[in-house]
Amino acid sequence: MKMPRLLKVAFTEWKLFYTDPAAVLLLVVAGLLYAFYYPTPYIYQTVSKVPVAVVDLDHSGMSRQLTQMAKAAQQIEVKAVYEDIIQAEEAMGREEIFGFMVVPENMEKDIRRQKQVTVNIFTHGAYVMLHGAIGTAFSTCAMTIGATNKVKQIALGKRVPSSQAMAMREPFPISIQTLFNNTGSYSNYVVPSVLILILQQSLIIGICILGGSRAHRRFRRKFRESPVENETLINRYFGRSLAYFVHYCTFILFYHCVIYNIFDFPRRGEFLPMAVFAVVFLAAVINFGMVISQVFLRRESSMQLFLYLSIPILFLANFSWPTYLMPDTMRALSYVLPSTFAVPAWISIEQMGADIYDVAPKLYTLAIQAVIYLVMGLWLTHIRDKCHFEAGDM
Amino acid sequence: MLSGFLKTVRKVYFCHSFVLWMILVILPVGVSVFMLDMFSSQIVQHIPIGIVGQDHSRLADKLEMSLRSSPVLDLKMLCIDMNECEHAVIRGELQSFIVIPNDLERRSYRFETPVIPIYSSGQNYLTNMFATKEIRAVITDVGASMFTAQIQDPVRTEIHSVGNVNGNYQGFLALGLVAALFHLAAMLVGVFIGSFPLRDHCVREMLGYAKGSRVTLYLASAIPMDIILWLGSMACYAYCHRALTPMTLNEFVMVSAAQLFMIVACSGAGFTFVGVVGIMRIATGVAGVVGGPAFAFAGQTYPLMAMPFAVRCFAFLLPLTHALKIQSMMLLGDVGLEPSWEVLKLLIGMAIFWNIFGAFVMFMRWKQHVKLETNREQKRLAELAANADCLEGAK
Repeated sequence: MKMPRLLKVAFTEWKLFYTDPAAVLLLVVAGLLYAFYYPTPYIYQTVSKVPVAVVDLDHSGMSRQLTQMAKAAQQIEVKAVYEDIIQAEEAMGREEIFGFMVVPENMEKDIRRQKQVTVNIFTHGAYVMLHGAIGTAFSTCAMTIGATNKVKQIALGKRVPSSQAMAMREPFPISIQTLFNNTGSYSNYVVPSVLILILQQSLIIGICILGGSRAHRRFRRKFRESPVENETLINRYFGRSLAYFVHYCTFILFYHCVIYNIFDFPRRGEFLPMAVFAVVFLAAVINFGMVISQVFLRRESSMQLFLYLSIPILFLANFSWPTYLMPDTMRALSYVLPSTFAVPAWISIEQMGADIYDVAPKLYTLAIQAVIYLVMGLWLTHIRDKCHFEAGDM
Repeated sequence: MLSGFLKTVRKVYFCHSFVLWMILVILPVGVSVFMLDMFSSQIVQHIPIGIVGQDHSRLADKLEMSLRSSPVLDLKMLCIDMNECEHAVIRGELQSFIVIPNDLERRSYRFETPVIPIYSSGQNYLTNMFATKEIRAVITDVGASMFTAQIQDPVRTEIHSVGNVNGNYQGFLALGLVAALFHLAAMLVGVFIGSFPLRDHCVREMLGYAKGSRVTLYLASAIPMDIILWLGSMACYAYCHRALTPMTLNEFVMVSAAQLFMIVACSGAGFTFVGVVGIMRIATGVAGVVGGPAFAFAGQTYPLMAMPFAVRCFAFLLPLTHALKIQSMMLLGDVGLEPSWEVLKLLIGMAIFWNIFGAFVMFMRWKQHVKLETNREQKRLAELAANADCLEGAK
């Protein structure tokens, strides 16, 4: 393996990223476009003022107080106060509101009689985020009314001052602190994981589109017999890998310096863990791409396959649904993919400021993947170089 | 026309590569079932949490036991100090941790209201939401039983998720994901079927099967694909729905119609991409850019009303947004039926528009390719004739 020849192969491959239209789309445009495209819907970061309604069956001072409290809540916006449940259901059917609270009949009277009342909150079953926001806002209001009355009951029943009654009702209050993502931003939760997936998917498809480390690539009509296409397997493999590696290092840098700044994501990543992450992650993905690329006979087939797989791959990376709740077979399958370890490692480094020791187990796994795929990639390319096949344009 | 139609269908669907059936049936159905099985435990449970126990009283033990007995939580770590728990959160081993402060019991009995801090990662939105909600409920219960066990809370709240009573994740998310997968599938298959005659230079041959009719060729390409994808999507929808309230006939009919028109609109869009760009690779890329992230824009995970205006406009153009709207409206039962008609009309409009536009651009593209293929054939024949002359001359 001679360095000048290796660099020549790398440079020739890198030029192809900008001259082959399909490669430009995947290796240049996709990485840039998606980085802006994905975070844009979540630019306001949190959901507030969700349209809701109150069904007041009590018509008392307390029910009006409850409605006022709901109107003051930040997460929801009370659009209407209805007289019966059917009106609210119809409004929810039209998606004018996404939830409603039913203040039961005789609520005030029952509370004064020290009888427990139940406030029912209904949310739209199809929207998980709205379910949480509406449920929290309405129940906080109802519980506050309940707490005020309970303090009164304790003070009167036990004959203690109100401060003591408050302490008796809640002897040890809790205080919830968020260590990371303090604002509860949805984009901080979604986008960093997706950015890593964008890098992985575009890189794998890009490598497949360009035929991996194959010799005499058929789609390069004019240059099929050029010395660079005819290089030794080692020079071809590592030269082309180098081109992908350098190209994608700039993407990681671009995301860290530009995208994270523009969209105001927390940037806690230190240099050393980030550098090690970039090396092992890109090595694992490039070698994985080199292996996969030897399977396809047509350039576009990889695109058709991997576009379908993006969503399951994202979920397999512990993105939203905990991995330990998935069936064992799926967990086993997820170990094949670099993103399974790369997404949590990136989030730990960049969002939580992890040091190298915190993420070491994930980085080791990525390094192991890189080595396994490297051996497989070299072996498959060797086999492929020997084969002559007629179908397709690879 | 019928024999031409059937011949073309046979040629397009049964004399072609495995890739078509892969992207038409195996991948969309397989990935949908895979996604549904991923959420097979249905609700979030066993969320890993830790405790920093600075107090060693009976109250602290009771709190620990209560947290251990919650099915939603899994007490994984008893940390010596906060640093240990914090690093476990960073490593992703814990979602939250609770600090049980020094002298908790003593100060509680003196009515000094010692605060229990709960530190939550905040990075994983849903898991954190469930964890903090449960920790709050457990601690509040223990607190309420200390002095006022005999006094009931005056107000109790019950949160009901309409159409998804158990707050089932398959209902929340998987129903939408299945629709999103078929939305993407219809675009990709539309691109594949529209572009392979161009890629393989067999437009003249395909038109021959269709008896020279471009309308027949378009219909024979689009209709079977739409039907197969629609049947696949409805099968996956029914499989996913089994964990929710049983479907009514109205819901079934309305959702079926929505899925059908979504698929027809998307396949039409796929043909349009091919007609405009003319190359399978580029058209597949365009379909991927539009269809791949469509689920993020469709409003089921993050509501449309919280998105910027321009994004809402883009979301409005996606058939998936409207199909999901109908699906979610029908989860509410009969009250959603009437408003969903309006949305369905919009989907029908989209399906008609994309197919007319797709057919128009494909007709132009086929015309251009027929000319190219004829020229290429004439050139080849001329070369053959020249070669034959040379050979004769040599003899």
